Amino acid sequence: MAKDHRAGSKVKGDKLPAILMASDLLEGDTVFLFKDGWTRDSREARIAYDQETADAMEAEGKGAAAANAVVDPYLVPVELTEDGHPVARHFRDVMRQKGPSVHLDMGKQADFGPIA
Amino acid sequence: MYRYDEFDERFVRERVDQFRTQIARRLDGSLSEDEFKPLRLKNGLYLQLHAYMLRIAVPYGTMSGRQLRQLAKIAREYDKGYGHFTTRQNLQFNWPKLKDIPAILDLLADVEMHAIQTSGNCIRNTTADQFSGVAADESEDPRPTAELLRQWSSQHPEFVWLPRKFKIAVTGAEHDRAAIKVHDIGLKLKRNEAGEPGYEISVGGGLGRTPMIGKVIREFLPKDELLAYVEAIMRVYNAEGRRDNKFKARVKILVHETGAEEFTRRVEDEYAKLDGPTINAPQEEIERIAAYFAAPDYEDLPAESVTLDSARREDAGLDRFVEQNGFAHKQPGYIAFTVSLKPVGGVPGDMSADQMDAFADIAEKYSLGELRVTHSQNLVLPYVKKDDVPALYTELKAHGLATANAGLVTDIIACPGLDYCALATAKSIPIAQEIAKTFADDARQKEIGELPIKISGCINACGHHHVGAIGILGLEKGGRENYQITIGGDATEHASLGERLGPGIDGEDVPGAIEAIVETYLGEKQGSESFIETVRRVGADPFKTRFASFVEERSKALEAAE
Repeated sequence: MAKDHRAGSKVKGDKLPAILMASDLLEGDTVFLFKDGWTRDSREARIAYDQETADAMEAEGKGAAAANAVVDPYLVPVELTEDGHPVARHFRDVMRQKGPSVHLDMGKQADFGPIA
Repeated sequence: MYRYDEFDERFVRERVDQFRTQIARRLDGSLSEDEFKPLRLKNGLYLQLHAYMLRIAVPYGTMSGRQLRQLAKIAREYDKGYGHFTTRQNLQFNWPKLKDIPAILDLLADVEMHAIQTSGNCIRNTTADQFSGVAADESEDPRPTAELLRQWSSQHPEFVWLPRKFKIAVTGAEHDRAAIKVHDIGLKLKRNEAGEPGYEISVGGGLGRTPMIGKVIREFLPKDELLAYVEAIMRVYNAEGRRDNKFKARVKILVHETGAEEFTRRVEDEYAKLDGPTINAPQEEIERIAAYFAAPDYEDLPAESVTLDSARREDAGLDRFVEQNGFAHKQPGYIAFTVSLKPVGGVPGDMSADQMDAFADIAEKYSLGELRVTHSQNLVLPYVKKDDVPALYTELKAHGLATANAGLVTDIIACPGLDYCALATAKSIPIAQEIAKTFADDARQKEIGELPIKISGCINACGHHHVGAIGILGLEKGGRENYQITIGGDATEHASLGERLGPGIDGEDVPGAIEAIVETYLGEKQGSESFIETVRRVGADPFKTRFASFVEERSKALEAAE
């Protein structure tokens, strides 16, 4: 079956630093790889600054998908705010990280406050 | 309205039970995502950017107040208090959880609803004119045909794994409000010279990345031969449609590559081989279905209502609402209404649970308990007595449902776009909101007149941009959202595809560009010409010229700002 959604980040060029994003299997919402398991608060997301860490995180994501915890994990290139919080570089990833732009009362932006 | 028989009821309940066990197997790990995905799609369940999305079928856009009330309950208990009506006359919930889906499907089944045939490579929910059965310009009600096709296509064993999805639309009126020319099969009810009922059949229309206008392959098919003939079309498509390339798998590509004449020959050959009488529905079944769509017991009323006429003179808002959203009814003393889900600044097609409850009451009080969904993401009250209109208007207004903009520049079709959709390349809803704000003034909207703007947030064209009088397509270009603008598209019996005006522009420039296009129209307009009529007469060139100068002005302004 052909892919019927746009998997992966669309950022071109240098892809680091990065975080790992996925959809939670049960709830369907966006989750981020944390130091230990998954978090819904992107400010806590584990950040890969080098390729080796990124590869390890990706492998961990694949493992979680195989274990039926998450769906479609992928690395998301980010920039860091002054507080050191990761913010996705591509507008599509930002939408997932925050929530719908037309409903600021929904999604992660509603649960955790403004995300940069 | 159609009522489920025992078979329908059992079929839907069995499907819910099946999917319940499939979800359980997914959750316990027996099914991988790759195995589960085609199963969930067959039940209308998608995984979008922020959550799962459940698409619920509203066959030919017809729904009862009771059903809408149940949707309100689901919205409140299992979603975030609202639902979204789509360009396929369906309803989507944007936030359901996988674990809650069986409970939601049970609630739907309780009111004869489901999510079957809203996704996957099957024959999808058949759509129809939203004014079916009541339109003054209708020759025959398309709903019995749509219902017959629903029953025939539901789980048709031969057509559950087609090369790609397949959409059928039906109209019984001269003026096509169901966009039949941009469907895989478009059916138009008509009569031949002898006065016998039948269909004109178009095949191979569609939007998406390769937009096509359907080709008429049968000028007249006797009415009782419908299922066998459609089966012949499906068999040719099923056998020859391209399964090697998803992007070339729709029947429109097959018709285009084969040529309409040769495709017709193959269908006719197949049709000659079929044993029609074993496929076509027996007469008593056709009559059984038709009986559900018999005209209601209308009251014998004078054509004009003194009550309404005097209320209109006293209340300019009511007068404007009736003028813009009222629709001529075939029964004297009655009127149908488009109820706009496009308040300025709102999300096109969204309706809150509270509004659903209120509207269910309104439909029961003023429209014999029935409502319709339009492919323009609005609702319709089909059976309103003119005498009741002042009271109806007051209630609609109280619930924010009396926006008098049906068909106007602020009545914009927009797909969910990047705000929700995993396929989207750009936002769509915020563009619609900004355009609506720009043209919010009622007098200005009225002066501009009928102007369907349609916005899609990706090339798949759920927002029907190809057939918008003004079409807007959001893409990604150089890591930014970028919008291409077309004009001259038309989804009616004069179906045509829009023509691009020039290079893509930034989202923030779209409202200004639309203003430039509208100004060009008002300058070129003769007499009472609508936008699309002016475009047809003068062509796209004056619009391209004005658009080019708009783009140049904007880039100069940007340079100056830097």
